[in-house]
Amino acid sequence: MTDKLRTIIVEDEELARHLMKSFLAGNEKIEIIAECENGFEGVKMINELKPDLVFLDIQMPKITGFEMIELLDHKPQIVFATAYDQFAIKAFEHNAVDYLLKPYSKERLLEAVAKVSDRIQKEGIESDVAEKILNFPREGFIDRVVVKDRHKIHIIPVDNIRYIESMDDYVMIYTNEGRHIKQKTMKYFEDSLDPHSFARIHRSYIVKIDQINEIQQYEKEAYIVILHDKTKLKVSKTGYKLLKEVLNF
Amino acid sequence: MELRHPFITNPRLTIFYGVFWLIASAVMMLILIFSNGLDYWASFVEVFTSIFIFSIIGASVWYVIRFSTLENNSILRIILAHLIAASIIVFIWMYLNVILVKLLNPQALEWMQKGMINKIFGGYLMYVIYVIFFYAVNYYYSFKEKVRNEGKLIALVKEAELHALKSQINPHFLFNSLNSISSLTMTDPAKAQEMVINLSQLMRYSLKHGQNEKVLFKQELENNKLYLQIEKVRFGSKLNPIFDIDEKCLQMNIPNMILQPLYENAIKYGVYEATEPVEIKTVCRCNEDFLQITIKNSYDPNVISKRGEGIGLRNIRDRLEIIYGNPHLMTLEDNRKEFTVTLTIPQKII
Repeated sequence: MTDKLRTIIVEDEELARHLMKSFLAGNEKIEIIAECENGFEGVKMINELKPDLVFLDIQMPKITGFEMIELLDHKPQIVFATAYDQFAIKAFEHNAVDYLLKPYSKERLLEAVAKVSDRIQKEGIESDVAEKILNFPREGFIDRVVVKDRHKIHIIPVDNIRYIESMDDYVMIYTNEGRHIKQKTMKYFEDSLDPHSFARIHRSYIVKIDQINEIQQYEKEAYIVILHDKTKLKVSKTGYKLLKEVLNF
Repeated sequence: MELRHPFITNPRLTIFYGVFWLIASAVMMLILIFSNGLDYWASFVEVFTSIFIFSIIGASVWYVIRFSTLENNSILRIILAHLIAASIIVFIWMYLNVILVKLLNPQALEWMQKGMINKIFGGYLMYVIYVIFFYAVNYYYSFKEKVRNEGKLIALVKEAELHALKSQINPHFLFNSLNSISSLTMTDPAKAQEMVINLSQLMRYSLKHGQNEKVLFKQELENNKLYLQIEKVRFGSKLNPIFDIDEKCLQMNIPNMILQPLYENAIKYGVYEATEPVEIKTVCRCNEDFLQITIKNSYDPNVISKRGEGIGLRNIRDRLEIIYGNPHLMTLEDNRKEFTVTLTIPQKII
């Protein structure tokens, strides 16, 4: 039977996992190929097994469901499950992504499955759900960024970030220990980082304010900032205005 | 209490005061002119020197009252203070009187000297009237302040109630528990039933007791064990509660619903973020005067999670302060491995 949806369940609570499995048991459309208890495991299994469909809990230890999809190389169809997360639900509704609110009924779960198999028939396996959700601003300011270098997952506290540089569809995050590439927009970071600590000084740069050592004028109306480690970054006109405001000079 | 003169803090009172003495002066002048037969100038000088001058000097009586309050001084001292103050004020008043009359209407001097004794007596009488007047003003002010403070306290209590209520119906807790029950109905209906009953008991407990009501520690503890039991169904072996309770503490008093936010925090930051089992240890000791409860949970220091604004903890501190009038009844300790909260609940209420 090759037309079954190869499915992974990522959910930290055993009872919740169990419930989903029993709702899906005997379903001719679904084949459960793995169950994961946490986000790390989830990333590994999804990248390895390349499932068609993932049921994904949002609130999980270590990394959340959202942080997880940022780390996926393979983008399956995703159905989110959450007990209560107003901002997530807003993001789902905004992006027409399917989600289940716990506790959900068997009918509701099967509806989600039907929707997904419809979508796969129309558009093929690869999903754009991840892309849709990826750059949606979340509640409050973020306090960590999750990145993947080859096979390792790093959790970077925002306090360790020195600056962020834009690189086409990606950003490069510079920390004290090194640099990490991440598929996110500058706009996302501009909205999600606390403006008391970070400033968008240029189209291509967001800098951590306490990393700035000096602001130099090198031409009429053109400035650069010099960080404590001597890195020089360009400052745009609006960026200079913003710095003036934040630093009060 | 206010150390500034009410005439400075309350301009309206000052205006009333001025208007009152203006009218009184006018009435006095009319009496002097029509019944005593003085001419306009003489009656004006007389009224101006006695009434106007006194209305200014007399305002200082407030300070005498303010600094020899009825609460902090013996009656004898207060009487003595007033006697001295009255003599000084009357003396200054008379002195200014003589100088001004000499200056403005020298003919009246002789006439004035005859009525000197009467006038001194009148001065003391005025002093007494002033004392009564300012006592009334002060009383009114402290009454108003008391009302204001009571309002503040009520607002604080209401806020505490709201926070507590919000945490009781924490939607994460509620919906996840309901999801667990939904799962158990298929695999283990007996356990599902038990969980529904536990959940109902927990809800009933928080509905039944008002915010400032105290309950037996035994009740509060049992309720929280119920809460932990429900969470244990969700988290399984990851949640590991340990109790070390001194039996004799069970009959002591504690404000209700004060422990649950602490366990909630321990689960949120300890258990929830962990992949290994986490201990939540409750130690309880007491003597006649105090009940001391310590709740300790280990946590993974590498997890960067939102520490929240600590609303739950602040709320507990506020409540203890409102109830016992002491802001130091909750202490926190964080050694980057374990988080410890200690509550000290006084048993003797003054």
